Amino acid sequence: MKLTNLTTSFAVAAIGTLLTGVILVAENQWAVIGALLAAAALSIVLARLKIGMVLASVLNESSAWVALLIPLGGVIIGFALHEEDFVLMMLATVLIYGLACVGLTIQFGYAGVINFAGAAFFGIGGYTAALLGEWGIPSLLIIVAGGMVAAAIGCILILPVLRTKGHYAALITIAFGLLFRSFLEVNHTLGGPQGLKVEGASVAGHSLLDGIQLGSFQASFYLNYVLLALGVFTICFILARNLEKSWIGVNFDAVREDPIGASVFGVNVAYWRIMAFVIGNFVIGLAGAIFAMMQNFIAPSNFTFSDSLIMLSIIVLGGLGNLWAILPAAILVVVMPEKLQEIGEFRILVFAVLVVLVLRFRPSGLFPRALRKFRREVAQ
Amino acid sequence: MAILFEYLFNGAVLGIMYALVAVGFTLFFGVLDIIKFSHGDVLTLGAFSGLVSFLALQSLGLDLPVVGLVVVLAAACIVTGAVGALIGQAFIIPMRNASGFNILLMTLMIGTGIREAIRLFYPNGANPKAFPALLPKTPIEIGGVFFRLDSIVLLGLGFGVILLTNWLIRHTKLGLAIRAVAQDGDTAQAMGIPFKTIVLATFALGSALAGIAGVMHGIYYSEINFSVGLLLGVIGFSAAVVGGLGSIWGAIIGGFTFAALQTLWVVVFPDASGYRDVFAFTAIIIAMTIWPTGIIAERYSERV
Amino acid sequence: MSHLFSARDVSVRFGGLQALDKLSLDVDEGTIIGLIGPNGSGKTTFFNALTGLCQTAGGQLLLDGTDITGLEPRHVYSRGVTRTFQRSRLCLSLSVFDNVVIGRQNSLDLNIVSNLLQRGRFNAAVRENHERVRALLATFSEMLAGRIFDPLHSLNMIDRRRIEVCRALVAEPRLLLLDEPSAGMTPDETHEFMDDILKVRSNNPRMSIIIIEHEMDLMRRVAERCIVLNYGRKVADGTFDAVVADPWVQEAYLGTS
Repeated sequence: MKLTNLTTSFAVAAIGTLLTGVILVAENQWAVIGALLAAAALSIVLARLKIGMVLASVLNESSAWVALLIPLGGVIIGFALHEEDFVLMMLATVLIYGLACVGLTIQFGYAGVINFAGAAFFGIGGYTAALLGEWGIPSLLIIVAGGMVAAAIGCILILPVLRTKGHYAALITIAFGLLFRSFLEVNHTLGGPQGLKVEGASVAGHSLLDGIQLGSFQASFYLNYVLLALGVFTICFILARNLEKSWIGVNFDAVREDPIGASVFGVNVAYWRIMAFVIGNFVIGLAGAIFAMMQNFIAPSNFTFSDSLIMLSIIVLGGLGNLWAILPAAILVVVMPEKLQEIGEFRILVFAVLVVLVLRFRPSGLFPRALRKFRREVAQ
Repeated sequence: MAILFEYLFNGAVLGIMYALVAVGFTLFFGVLDIIKFSHGDVLTLGAFSGLVSFLALQSLGLDLPVVGLVVVLAAACIVTGAVGALIGQAFIIPMRNASGFNILLMTLMIGTGIREAIRLFYPNGANPKAFPALLPKTPIEIGGVFFRLDSIVLLGLGFGVILLTNWLIRHTKLGLAIRAVAQDGDTAQAMGIPFKTIVLATFALGSALAGIAGVMHGIYYSEINFSVGLLLGVIGFSAAVVGGLGSIWGAIIGGFTFAALQTLWVVVFPDASGYRDVFAFTAIIIAMTIWPTGIIAERYSERV
Repeated sequence: MSHLFSARDVSVRFGGLQALDKLSLDVDEGTIIGLIGPNGSGKTTFFNALTGLCQTAGGQLLLDGTDITGLEPRHVYSRGVTRTFQRSRLCLSLSVFDNVVIGRQNSLDLNIVSNLLQRGRFNAAVRENHERVRALLATFSEMLAGRIFDPLHSLNMIDRRRIEVCRALVAEPRLLLLDEPSAGMTPDETHEFMDDILKVRSNNPRMSIIIIEHEMDLMRRVAERCIVLNYGRKVADGTFDAVVADPWVQEAYLGTS
């Protein structure tokens, strides 16, 4: 049992790495379409044979260190393509968006707290990085500060979010997202519509703008950001996974599924909704700070309502509440439009149609979340 | 003092446009308990179809003053009504048992699709388009205050449409059926009311209102842009929510409230007029915190 | 003599409707009380008021002599009152274990740091709770205990009811409220369920139960005392036979004269 689980996990990771690599390097868009079709066919076959659910539960029940297959795959791709600026930037972008989606998953996938202002909290992280970068504060601290400021500003919304439900709660975050964007546009200290320059990150005195050099090995500086994003993503992924498989995760689910039923069994519904909202915004803020450092430049147009929609689309396309589905969905949403230049102009249209079709015909997403079972914990 | 009246008047014109959009949201929520977020982009579509029909008239040499306005409004209503019903038929009715969030996200994406389609397929669609001056912009002086004639007509038109809609809902058979479905869809169906037809008719009606609002928007600003729908949609949604979803008069009050907030800010802080939307949305968030189901509360009960 | 639970002149109003009208009743430790009355007579409203789900418009709810009127639902739970719902409020997408273990809310370690980082400790806690939940499920049926990690939506109606009762029992309440547990069950299932309730009762002799039921056979077998409500008022109080014999009850509720 254990061995097959291990083999399966490795197989999934290997296939994932391979497909990601192919999609990333494919120059010819027919190759991209081919890889996407192959992935689509694979997922349909898996769904038909009910293997999809089995795979999801294998990944869900495997031990914590199976999550380390993600950085393993990421490092392999990163080093294999170490000279390709554009490819590495896309990989880093996928990881950063994926990180933000981990935060959204905690909020919406677990606790059911709706957040249509993901891009705003992402932007708060980014602007924090821009402002603090001028003071020569260590980059890792700035990233954490980005998360903390996003979480803190999010606290303004706690009361409205707690008091409203359903469509009304959705409006609160939509209004906040638009408000944030218009605020940035007109505020001159934050650069107005032109935005701000951001100091690049440096870790242990080594600027991430200098690519790694070891003898004849010369890497693009984007590899540094891939590694940084990969590290933060993996830590947050493992912690979010632990969160799901904990009493807190059980409470989140109870709050989402039936707040009244939960309150009768002693669950502090308001407390858990606040927790999910704050933790989620923290993670989204981390992602925003890394994004700003990598881009070296941020402007209000990076943090629009459409960007919030893209983040939500990633978690819904992948499968709401399934952490493992975030990266495949992020690749689909972030990389596909960049690669299909022929579609170029039409990419947002294509993307919108794709999301509509998935919601209409496969509402639980491409890789639905697996049931939480504490088999492994009980068996130990 | 005169300038204040002008502000108030312009605020009222904005308010009536927001109210028209908000009434659509409230009608959709009434019959199916859903938020149809493609509404704002359906509005843009209405404005663009009005523009196309005007260009067609022009090429035929038929761009006479009143005829132009009537044809443009009719074209906008027909296109938006049809598209609204189509979205309902193809996507919303089949999904009425899905979670509210899924429908919200899906209609947002349909709206994005419409917006992008306009940008891509309308010639040079990414740039703002001049909207024909279907009404004379002659200034009219009343007691030392200047009003634009077209704005006065637009205000009257907006009120007329809203009164007509209210009459339709209150005093016709169709309106009775819509109210019955809004009360309780299953019971209405059991009483022999064709549920699906009524829902689609409601979608067509609400969307046609957005079409009219789109044309009004075009005339008022003399131009139309593919992306206006998103903000107008959110404003209309806010107005409907503040007024308490499901109530027509609530939606109208909500529309004027939003316009009043924007105008108030510009009057008080003319130097910081850029912040007017920040202020208006902040006020909406605060209002929602105080009245979590709108100022005119939605009829609401939780079954235990 | 002091009672485990007392309601003193409790009233609840919904707009113009008087759902509960100065209801008073006492529950002693270790007794099973049947609550009967026509639809809309205020039975479920009484449970809702007691568990803090709806506001009272007057009167007092006393548990062990302390006032619990107006407490939030979770604080009522902390004092040892749990319930089931007429329309089941389980989480269909979660496993049987997750649904039941929520009932142990107050003994779960909810500290975020220990949940995220001290996984060894967490695993030990899972094992302990798993043991408890399993044992509880096994008192109902061994088959149910074997399905502890199955999704709840795969269970049939009677098993779902059992899960709901287990969730209420796992907290080791002093007062258990059962709201129409036989709703939606076949007569055979109802019969089986009756045995379950009596089993629960003999396992927890000190626990009190208030049960709302329309199924008169079930009431006759399990209720030691019956209280009849009509239009939010208590119209009869006594043993099942005495209550059923009451001419007022016959006319108002049972519809025979």
